[in-house]
Amino acid sequence: MSFSDDEEILEDFLIEAGEILELLSEQLVQLERCPDDAQLLNAIFRGFHTVKGGAGFLQLTALVECCHITENLFDILRTGRRSVTPELMDVVLQVLDAVYVMFAQVKEREELDPAHPDLLAAVGALVAGEDHTLQIKSRHAEEAPGPTSHGAAQSGGDAVADDVSAESSSDDITDEEFEQMLAVLDSSSAGVQALSDSETAELSGAGSNEITDDEFEALLDTLHGSGKGLSHGMLHDSPPQSSPAQKNSSQKIEQPEAVVVSEANDEISDNEFEALLDALHGTGKHQGVPAAKTAKKPALALVKGSAEPLSKDSGKDSGRSPGKDSSKDSNKDTGKDAAAETTVRVDTRRLDEIMNMVGELVLVRNRLVRIGESSADEVLSKALANLDLVTADLQTAVMKTRMQPIRKVFGRFPRVVRDLARSLGKEVSLELIGEDTDLDKNLVEALADPLVHLVRNAVDHGIEIPAVRERNGKVRQGTILLAAEQEGDHILLTISDDGNGMDPNVLRNKAVEKGVMDREAADRLSDEECFNLIFAPGFSTKEQISDVSGRGVGMDVVKTKIAQLNGSIAIHSRPGQGSRIEIKVPLTLAIMPTLMVMVGQQAFALPLVSVNEIFHLDLKRTNVVDGQQVVTVREKVLPLFHLKRWLIRGECGVPAQTCAHVVIVSVGTQRIGFVVDDLVGQEEVVIKPLGRMLHGTPGMAGATITGDGRIAIILDVPGLLKCYAG
Amino acid sequence: MAEPVRKSLQAAQEQVLQWVTFHLDNETYGVNVMAVKEVLRHTQIAPVPGAPDYVLGIINIRGTVISVINTRRRFGLQDQEPTDNTRIVIIEVGKHVVGIMVDSVAEVVYLRQSEIETSPSVGKDDGARFIQGVCNKNDELLILVEFEKLLSQDELEELSQS
Repeated sequence: MSFSDDEEILEDFLIEAGEILELLSEQLVQLERCPDDAQLLNAIFRGFHTVKGGAGFLQLTALVECCHITENLFDILRTGRRSVTPELMDVVLQVLDAVYVMFAQVKEREELDPAHPDLLAAVGALVAGEDHTLQIKSRHAEEAPGPTSHGAAQSGGDAVADDVSAESSSDDITDEEFEQMLAVLDSSSAGVQALSDSETAELSGAGSNEITDDEFEALLDTLHGSGKGLSHGMLHDSPPQSSPAQKNSSQKIEQPEAVVVSEANDEISDNEFEALLDALHGTGKHQGVPAAKTAKKPALALVKGSAEPLSKDSGKDSGRSPGKDSSKDSNKDTGKDAAAETTVRVDTRRLDEIMNMVGELVLVRNRLVRIGESSADEVLSKALANLDLVTADLQTAVMKTRMQPIRKVFGRFPRVVRDLARSLGKEVSLELIGEDTDLDKNLVEALADPLVHLVRNAVDHGIEIPAVRERNGKVRQGTILLAAEQEGDHILLTISDDGNGMDPNVLRNKAVEKGVMDREAADRLSDEECFNLIFAPGFSTKEQISDVSGRGVGMDVVKTKIAQLNGSIAIHSRPGQGSRIEIKVPLTLAIMPTLMVMVGQQAFALPLVSVNEIFHLDLKRTNVVDGQQVVTVREKVLPLFHLKRWLIRGECGVPAQTCAHVVIVSVGTQRIGFVVDDLVGQEEVVIKPLGRMLHGTPGMAGATITGDGRIAIILDVPGLLKCYAG
Repeated sequence: MAEPVRKSLQAAQEQVLQWVTFHLDNETYGVNVMAVKEVLRHTQIAPVPGAPDYVLGIINIRGTVISVINTRRRFGLQDQEPTDNTRIVIIEVGKHVVGIMVDSVAEVVYLRQSEIETSPSVGKDDGARFIQGVCNKNDELLILVEFEKLLSQDELEELSQS
């Protein structure tokens, strides 16, 4: 086995286990809310099991140990011999943290620090509390009799993967029928070893000495394929009798088909079995049926009973590729089709390249469209219209490949909220809505930090402690709602709580106290402007700095980050009733709608998100207040700036024209007017970085190529104001 | 004075390097051909407000935005209106691509390492920092420029400013 092989497996493990761990933290918190959810318990058990399997494969002993003991604990929990308590959850979450630490170490290719012995001992104690070890052993003995099955493993016939599927009529199986089937299967599961001579089953690999990878994969495919057809998931059990059993239990199943893997004298080992299990469970999971509950027990026992004595090496060699493929499939498939290979992992850099090229294409199209407009050739304009359509479709399609559900960010919040609420002695429930909303991968990553800040704030500042809530006539438990939805070309994220809300007057006082503004200015602020005060750096209403908040940094960071994403943020709050924070971000960062304006001979692009309105202005109708030219728009006084004086060299002192186009842009809650020479129109542009020498030039966000092939500079409005207006 | 340099260069004597030569004012400069990506006629350069004064602006080469340096200003020369001969030489420095505007581009010359002499120390002249060496060929002095230094210098300046 070469090193590069190992590296590849490690990479796969990291990706896979990473996903599982993320899911686990979510599931664990969920578990605390509904401790009796058998499905959830099974899912968690399976998660730890899969991570353990992968880690064992890579000989990450410390990680295996940690997962193993937790897996044992969940085995007890899911069999109902112990119930979930908050104390138990604390320990489990600590274990998960330890696993996270180790996982990070694996990522860095570092040596693993074993988990703290006390922690393991704590889990051990929880496990031992039910005399777990003994029971496990006895269960093994029951279902896959130890020595006998070891012998059998050599001589032919013990491990079975049995899959029953009903293709055409599968949709018609009801839950009840399914339960019946399971019951029948269970009752007949005693005949574990009577399998290789089964006549109803289709035997694969019987008699041959080795099941090769190919065969194994083929088998997996079969299992997969047929499994998908089953709307209620997969039965995974030992006995070949399952086919008749199923016939009995459901008349609607017409052609049951049982596939039995027999390992006559061969080397199906731990890993192949785990791979198989993963595949089966993975699919089962997506079908959303507690199939695993019944399936898991015997299957696991079999794996343990039969495979342990086999050498690890043989497992590595034969188990790898099926393990990899199957788990990928099962993780990613949404269960639409039966095809085995429906997903491909692609390096994001490659996607970025494609995105770039599509961007170029869009620019060329813009150019052609503009040329086409000036010619009267009908054939040309037809072709152009076609090109326009196709490019637009291509653009959307490529953009979609980069989309990820926001679940990736939301997933971490249940844990954040739980931990924080517990440490603050509050009762908080978190509701997530619209987790499946897709947005650009970069955005998903970039949004994580600001959202964490906001959610923490909601728990810390927003929700009151239970006693206070009761006194105010609210339910003890506070609710935080985290929602995402697509609204046209942008995504709307809302974080709302039913807590204390914010009092504008308190904020006003605080602003005066902190010296941000004087009393008169503070009193003139509208309520909404008051709420925006909390975004100011160093502004905190907390008297005491805690480890959670109070430094007045968080909201400043949030604001900056959202602004970087071309997004906007708004706060609504009513004292005593809670606050709602709305964040709007564009769907993607790669392509930006802009308003093209001309200043002098040069084209500039203003991000359309910040453009409020455009109007034609007679410059005589402006006033000068405190040396600043202002214009009155619908009884609002807005400062007016001449972009020409800022952006064109040698144009600082030009006398103002008599009339001009004015673009009103909003920066935060402030609105200002820019005087420009000409308006070109709305254009979707691809942002090009300015290169090393010009990177960081104030007020310039990047450049783009306009429809006529020239360069337009994309303006960064907040940066521009900071640099020139200050 | 050039003796020790000669010696150290002895080993590489056989190595022949190609240099693209260009003119600025009355001098001829050379830049390693391996660094040159292409040579463009003068096109419209979009100025970038707020950029350092030696950066003329940016140009669009097949969809890539490239900054153009005012080489004259960088070398401490007077600005001059672009002419028909004015060229923009696109060079690759490390991972970055920049354009340098020159009065004209002449030819590609072959130089042996041994022909290159270290530049005479001329003090703190602005341009001197980027001079890799000089070469006397056909009674003409060819000044070899190392743009890597020129740009890293920029970076240093920018860092110290910010």
